[in-house]
Amino acid sequence: MGTEEESRAASAESFHPSNEDIEKWMASAFDMAKDALENGEVPVGCLMVYNISEPKPSPFEMFYMVALDQLLDWCHHRNLDVKSVCKQTVLYVTVEPCIMCAAALRLFNIPVVVYGCRNERFGGCGSVLDVSSADLPQTGTTFKVCVGHRAEEAVEMLKTFYKQENPNGDQTISSLLQIFFLCIFSPPFLFVFFFVPPPFTSSNISWRHLCYKYTLCRASFQHHFLETLHKQF
Amino acid sequence: MEPQTKRWKGSVCDTDSWVPYPVLSDEQSQEVGLIEAFAAPILDKKETSRLVRELNSVYPLSGLQHIKRVRVCQKEGSPHPLEVLVCRVSDAPDMKVISIDSLLPSDGVRCNGLGEPFVVKVPARPPLTRPQFELASKHWPTSFHEDKQVTVALRGELFSPPQKAAMHAYMMSAVAAARAAKKMGMEPVGAVVVDPSTERIIAVGHDCRADHPLHHAVMVCIDLVARSQGGGCYSFDRYPACLTSLTSDAFHNEPDTDASSQPYICTGYDLYVTREPCVMCAMALVHSRIGRVFYGNTAADGALGTKFRVHSQKDLNHHFEVYRGILSKQCEDLNVPTAT
Repeated sequence: MGTEEESRAASAESFHPSNEDIEKWMASAFDMAKDALENGEVPVGCLMVYNISEPKPSPFEMFYMVALDQLLDWCHHRNLDVKSVCKQTVLYVTVEPCIMCAAALRLFNIPVVVYGCRNERFGGCGSVLDVSSADLPQTGTTFKVCVGHRAEEAVEMLKTFYKQENPNGDQTISSLLQIFFLCIFSPPFLFVFFFVPPPFTSSNISWRHLCYKYTLCRASFQHHFLETLHKQF
Repeated sequence: MEPQTKRWKGSVCDTDSWVPYPVLSDEQSQEVGLIEAFAAPILDKKETSRLVRELNSVYPLSGLQHIKRVRVCQKEGSPHPLEVLVCRVSDAPDMKVISIDSLLPSDGVRCNGLGEPFVVKVPARPPLTRPQFELASKHWPTSFHEDKQVTVALRGELFSPPQKAAMHAYMMSAVAAARAAKKMGMEPVGAVVVDPSTERIIAVGHDCRADHPLHHAVMVCIDLVARSQGGGCYSFDRYPACLTSLTSDAFHNEPDTDASSQPYICTGYDLYVTREPCVMCAMALVHSRIGRVFYGNTAADGALGTKFRVHSQKDLNHHFEVYRGILSKQCEDLNVPTAT
């Protein structure tokens, strides 16, 4: 356990969550996803954890959130510099972020993203494009990805969701990644934002529909967030 | 057509100062690539059809359907006017010395009538554009199913003068928005979303990233379009140059009552933006189902041609046309620091 100074310097160098952290926070992300599934939402859970390298986190030094917007608000409220907070923040999510979200995470200088299953259809961390490590000097900073934690479980939840959603889903489930599209963050918000591509239900999901969905979803996440905090402390 | 052209002639825009070029997919822009194959001269012209038939059954050249089997000999004064493609080098059996006998199994093809084989380079995949076709044909005769629109677009002649005049006007609005952004200390980028079927501007937006790192001009515009349809998540009221035309029917429609008849946000719309969008914005355009994108200048990290071609990315579920070079001079000038 070297000195605190040393460990802090080391963590700045190679900021990476420990296996314990991954297990713990991914469990929270999965709880959120399950919650969403029970509420008829796309089962994707996402949270951000700040300052995990601090030896004794207090409730006030941590947060989880689903929206980069919330992160912005959080920083403004506490008079913290968004950039320096982001540099110490890990994002945990059950499914690989889409290309747009991956770029947004770069623009926010998030250094590490831990995700469960791959997103063959829209994934921006290697599945369709690799935005996370691409040479884009004007698009924020690259981030490390840590893949595969409870991947099968994440896929199972999505399968369950799409079986409920789509009566013809059975034939298509086998080529499961064909039918879902989800992304974490959003054009206007980092939210869990999802739509189902053609030929399934795309035509009946409009943007504003998404926005409503997002609002609902965010509310449920917030609710969950408070509950988790309550239990924990 | 004619009267319309006349009407536009009077308008004060120098549409000749810029040329819109299409930003094509990787397959359309890269060279077709070459692979090595064995060819042989046809010694007796009368044997040609038999040789082609027999060669086709022994070496069908699957995957090279775009290659013509026989070509006219390129060397002038050659004693043999025709040459035939035998097989890919990679398909040929192991041989110590290259000879026609070792290339052809004795029972499949009677090789009388064929001269000694030599190695040629042939196009590896079918040409998709005229420039690709012209280059490929230099190596070996290749068939080409021409997409006339692409050919015309590559010449920069796809749009008629009235169309160009309209594009000019839309991009001018984007440039004006970009200037407003610049005055506020933001990045000088502006964007306009247009419904080409009604020729109406749906939204005008500019870069607001000083207030929010994700509020790039394109993102602002998409949110404003959503707003015009009764959605949207942000208020850009404090930016007078960020506007949306709120349609009255957007308010009459109760949310979700009519969701099935509603297209995605930008379905069928055109986006004009002064600078090539980044990855995030490009993917947001995929998500919002934009119809076409027109931009002024390329950007170092651009995702519609420079670093990526998100609009033609194979695995994605929506593709769209992209044109660059619209008002390129005016768009470039936005980047010049203004003297204070």
